[in-house]
Amino acid sequence: MKKAPRTAMKLVGSAAVAALLLTGCSSSPGGTTAKETTSQDQIDKALTTPTKLTFWTWVPGIEKEVALFEKKYPAIDVTVENVGQGLPHYQKIRTALQSKDGAPDVVQMEYQYLPSFTVTNSLLDLSAYGAKGVAGDYVDWVWNQVSTDKGVWAYPQDVGPMGNLYRSDILTKAGVTSAPKTYEEYATAAKKVKDATGSTISNLATNDPAQVVGLLWQAGVKPFGYDGDKTVSINVNSPEAKKVLGYWQDLIQKDLVSTDADFNDQFYQGLAGGKYAGWLTAAWAPIFLQGTVADTAGKWTAAPMPQWDATKNVSGNWGGSADAVLSTTKNPIAAEELAKFINHDQESTTMLATQQSLFPAAKNVLGSPTFTDAKSDFFGGQTVNKLFADISNTVDKKFEWLPFTDYAYSQFNEIVGTSIGEKKDLSTALDTWQDVLVKYAKDQGFTVK
Amino acid sequence: MTATITAPARENAAGHAKPSKRRQGKKRSLPLTILLWLCALYFLLPLFWLFIASTKDNSDLFSTFGLWFGNRFSLWDNVVSVFTARDGLYLRWALNTVLYAGVSAIGASLVATMAGYAFAKYTFPGSRVLFSLTLGAIMIPLTALALPTYLLFNAASLTNTPWAMILPSLVSPFGVFLMRVYAADAVPDSMIEAARVDGAGEFRIFWQVSFRLLGPGVVTVFLFALVATWNNYFLPLIMLNTSSLYPLTVGLAQQQAASAAGGGAQALFSTVITGSLISVVPLIIAFLFLQRYWETGLATGGVKE
Repeated sequence: MKKAPRTAMKLVGSAAVAALLLTGCSSSPGGTTAKETTSQDQIDKALTTPTKLTFWTWVPGIEKEVALFEKKYPAIDVTVENVGQGLPHYQKIRTALQSKDGAPDVVQMEYQYLPSFTVTNSLLDLSAYGAKGVAGDYVDWVWNQVSTDKGVWAYPQDVGPMGNLYRSDILTKAGVTSAPKTYEEYATAAKKVKDATGSTISNLATNDPAQVVGLLWQAGVKPFGYDGDKTVSINVNSPEAKKVLGYWQDLIQKDLVSTDADFNDQFYQGLAGGKYAGWLTAAWAPIFLQGTVADTAGKWTAAPMPQWDATKNVSGNWGGSADAVLSTTKNPIAAEELAKFINHDQESTTMLATQQSLFPAAKNVLGSPTFTDAKSDFFGGQTVNKLFADISNTVDKKFEWLPFTDYAYSQFNEIVGTSIGEKKDLSTALDTWQDVLVKYAKDQGFTVK
Repeated sequence: MTATITAPARENAAGHAKPSKRRQGKKRSLPLTILLWLCALYFLLPLFWLFIASTKDNSDLFSTFGLWFGNRFSLWDNVVSVFTARDGLYLRWALNTVLYAGVSAIGASLVATMAGYAFAKYTFPGSRVLFSLTLGAIMIPLTALALPTYLLFNAASLTNTPWAMILPSLVSPFGVFLMRVYAADAVPDSMIEAARVDGAGEFRIFWQVSFRLLGPGVVTVFLFALVATWNNYFLPLIMLNTSSLYPLTVGLAQQQAASAAGGGAQALFSTVITGSLISVVPLIIAFLFLQRYWETGLATGGVKE
């Protein structure tokens, strides 16, 4: 769950501004907070009262998990709608919220967009419904993504801890027989691969801020911060961030890493034709590759990310979604229970992982042997799930987002993405990105720390 | 989609080819012939690609040459998956498209014909101003009107209903302009006067006399409106929120997006491509069948009697 077409970004950017302006001044940010926790009696009553719910999500086939919920609570009738994916989806939610008509009850939402909706008070605080009680059932860093000290805003659905997927046949040809452990080794391997086979060791997309942010995340960089109220911190041009981008710039300038836009025809051809000998990507990618480049089955190997510090083992995250409840819902309890059930019930979470191929955030799947012991033929019989389940535990626990991710990402594409593609100085690009974000934040009335 | 460009192109090619056949004895222009062939190639190539691509499965799609068949011929499998994916939602989208485009095209051609005829044959106060307004409206792209239209429809609680697609598509300023120009020549004033003398009412004159003379023009506007609504993407995108109401354009785009969804992705590329191919077939058929009307429609009115 990660793609968002670039063209829509600007539109949403301005929609977000409008949303911020409209609601930012009239109400205090932080979401709706119910004072008292709902009792079990109230929950039981809500779940036995005939209720209609609408659930906007773009997970293909999630109707199956919803059916489990409806089977357990026959009084609740859930309509599942796919109104678009990524930005178009958020755009529709904002439009529906503003027109006060036709807004769904439960929505899928990527982690980086949650603050963009809590800032406008659009999400229901689930802690009033006992959400904190299930915190321990999810991987720590994932729970941090959906909760702040002000409340719990969603239930985690899937995640994308990052790893290194590579074509072992190409790397072997170049004399690289094991996955590079450090970025230094990675650069050496990149040179060997290029010299021996002409392939690039990975692709750094010009249109995918999430990939670069994932790499920053792994390096322990904290580019964004938001206190849930009026203060943001923006550090996209910190020395640490420049170090990461500087490393990639070096590889790009030596032609050891390609810079194609991802998730388009050219990119798929690159994957299928061996233009890329590998891909620093996320836990959702193994399934994605199987569907897109089936002919290369058996040639791939999955490994943890190269490390900046050889003594450490850390990763970042790229993608993943949660399910949130809109504060406008007329049936908060039933809606909250739906969001929880889908992402918490053992049968449902297992099904999400096995049938919808989402990489789980819930421990009840991550710890289940049927999931972790599954061997993938596409990866030469590797237990890829196990590998990524272990990687997930190494993701840096605290990583925050800005309450205007749409804008930050669209500006990333225009400034940093363009510089990646044109092999320009990325350090300058980060400075420009920083200035633009700080100015925007101030214009929106935020205090920049 | 591609057919909108391709079909008129074929018309042009045919239109040029015919006179040259008649003028067989005369010298043909070789550069012009080559140019036309190049044009035809340019317009037909995407359609050819679409056909070739829809015979491939996902892996062939990205690993074999785009303009020739892949290692496996999977057209049939693709067609099956088009109609079975998500419980055959494609068929629903196709029916929606037919409904939206059909009703809009009939309505739009009717409204445009009446308006164009009125502008051409009646003088009434404000007719010049109104016609200027219509001309001005041609300059405003439908896309720019989509948001205001959305707000209007939202106020009337008509969003997320078929009306949100049909009502805006009934208005075709270009159709009005075309019909005015066409009606001015195709319906002789003397004939209308003769009908009046015979005692026919204005409405009867329009239906029984003028409308028949306007036939080719009506078909032209009909085809324009049909193609415009059939291919409309932005309007349904913002108006509709229910999968079962989507037309093919939005539905296919949604399926395409699902292919690149990362986690939980369904690689439906070949399904989407084959779905696109099937979606343009009815348009091609419509053009082939209505071709003769269309040709006379474009030709007449060009010369004054």
